[in-house]
Amino acid sequence: MKSWVRIGEKTIRVELPADIMQGGRYPCIVEGRAIEADVTLLANEALSLIVEGRQYRCVLDGDAIVIAGRRYEFAVEDPRALAGRAGAGEGGSGPRAVKAPMPGRVVRVLVAEGDQVEAMQGVVVIEAMKMQNELKVPRAGRVSKVAVLADTTVEAGQILVVIE
Amino acid sequence: MQKVLIANRGEIAVRVMRTCREMGLRTVAVYSDADRASLHVAYADEAYRLGPAHAVESYLQGDLIIEIARRIGADAIHPGYGFLSENPAFAEACESARITFIGPPVSAMRALGSKTLARQAADAAAMPRVPGSVTGLADVAEAQRVAAEIGYPVMLKAAAGGGGKGMRAVYSHAELATAYATASSEAERSFGSGEVYLEKLIERPRHIEVQVMADSHGHCLYLGERECSVQRRHQKVIEEAPSPVVDQDLRRRMGEAAVRLALSAGYVNAGTVEFLVDDDRNFYFLEMNTRLQVEHPVTELITGLDLVEMQIRVAMGEPLRLSQQDVVLRGHAVECRIYAEDPENNFMPSPGKITRFLQPAGPGVREDCGVYEGWTVPLDYDPMLSKLITYGATRELAIDRMLRALDEYTIGGIRTNIGLFRRILSDPDFRSAAIDTGYLERLLSGPKENEQESIPEEVIALAVAILTGVSKRHKGAAPSAAASRWKTIGRQEGLRA
Repeated sequence: MKSWVRIGEKTIRVELPADIMQGGRYPCIVEGRAIEADVTLLANEALSLIVEGRQYRCVLDGDAIVIAGRRYEFAVEDPRALAGRAGAGEGGSGPRAVKAPMPGRVVRVLVAEGDQVEAMQGVVVIEAMKMQNELKVPRAGRVSKVAVLADTTVEAGQILVVIE
Repeated sequence: MQKVLIANRGEIAVRVMRTCREMGLRTVAVYSDADRASLHVAYADEAYRLGPAHAVESYLQGDLIIEIARRIGADAIHPGYGFLSENPAFAEACESARITFIGPPVSAMRALGSKTLARQAADAAAMPRVPGSVTGLADVAEAQRVAAEIGYPVMLKAAAGGGGKGMRAVYSHAELATAYATASSEAERSFGSGEVYLEKLIERPRHIEVQVMADSHGHCLYLGERECSVQRRHQKVIEEAPSPVVDQDLRRRMGEAAVRLALSAGYVNAGTVEFLVDDDRNFYFLEMNTRLQVEHPVTELITGLDLVEMQIRVAMGEPLRLSQQDVVLRGHAVECRIYAEDPENNFMPSPGKITRFLQPAGPGVREDCGVYEGWTVPLDYDPMLSKLITYGATRELAIDRMLRALDEYTIGGIRTNIGLFRRILSDPDFRSAAIDTGYLERLLSGPKENEQESIPEEVIALAVAILTGVSKRHKGAAPSAAASRWKTIGRQEGLRA
């Protein structure tokens, strides 16, 4: 079982025996180095891992893992997919949507269609949990669409503004 | 008194119910539609629906709450903090319905609830206060005259205010007119009253407050102070007791001033007198909060008292069982307010389902909590999940204990501010108590110190590979209850990225 795990800037190659989830001691290869991992599942998506005498309690939380109270965001990469997606993702110049990160109420819309905006300029103010939050555009451009009105409620993920 | 209705929600409703149970009192919860599955409902002996999620249609429906209390034979209402707790009309309506309001008398609440009236009461009680106006300003001209008298910098504040709304620091004559207009209109929008007053700006002040408890027989105690200088946008983030800068003499002087104010207003029950303290340890009266405070547990830990029990006994008409000499402070306590918000992303609120909830425990740890694993944090109320409080013989021990407890606290599915506390509690300025109300904003705007990375990345990657492999297996077989859709999506996104 091979995987590429990205943590921050680094991608680390991990090779595991297929039956590691049975629990016990297993030889693993991390970045080409042989490591003995002592694995015990504690609960669903939680394990105790002992490596070189040090014990780590690890809890999976969606796209992050929590070890000793600290969160590490990760992505598991499928090596076959890597080739196809070169050049995609960040930085492109196509339209970019600003979406609601959570459900809430639109307090103010700060831009109009046709406006030029700077990177990190606020475009919409949303209120949730008694707090107002200004949502910003990731990069400079022109507002091609304003999809919401002030004083309306929005769902998480709903498109608010589109920048070109 | 046999049955108490708690007109609140979340952690404070649960905390009040706990003491009620210990006292053999039946507990009654009220709830909005968003809170049917809330912990405070599941904890109560009886529970009654108020209305839709929006607080105006539920937790602020004073008449409905009193109507429920009458119908079910509740003898008393505990308002907690926020919502109706400082609403004199509600306290008055309880009185006329012959239901005990567990809080101060209506007259005292009125006299001390308005900041301008409270400043007048403070003058009458010979309390030191920040120089400035004691009545609302009539217009800009008056603001300019008062500012010239006391000297710049000055602070404009809303008379009905709180939480930093309608507040503006003004450093020169030129800025005053604009600041006056914005403060007044913000106050009008937030509190329905544009009344603002002006006082001298104390630079780099500490926020220190004194807990008082008065009975209906004319006795009033001060129960030490709380240091609440670690604030963000005028909201407290960490509180501790005692204050590291208050000595015996200052404690006595502040305490006696607070008691003087309470007695002069005929105050009964728990209250908090807030002060600003400057570099030379001069203290100035700020305002009085006529309710139980969020941060009351730190006082409970260093005094060994149960403030809710005292509130209930005082409300029953019992005299206080202690005299001032019996109040002994021992050790040090620290409280962190755990919020569903993301400090890495401009403190954006993070409502949603709590998929994992591992709570800290062990010596000197208290958690006042209003949530549980599997519960969905609603977006309709403030984002506080719990309060984590630690106690130790010294300040240093209490802080180290908090760091340990934070490491044990694992909350999954939503983002929390736990990492922020680790950063503050490890900061040398915080640890040496070099804090004032601007401390946290300065820390947050400064460079982020890299936490010494104690966990090798290889180990993190290994754990990720094992756990994602395991759960892939599980998913193929039978999805377990704890594997939420949220996580599944998160993982798919992770795989795609």
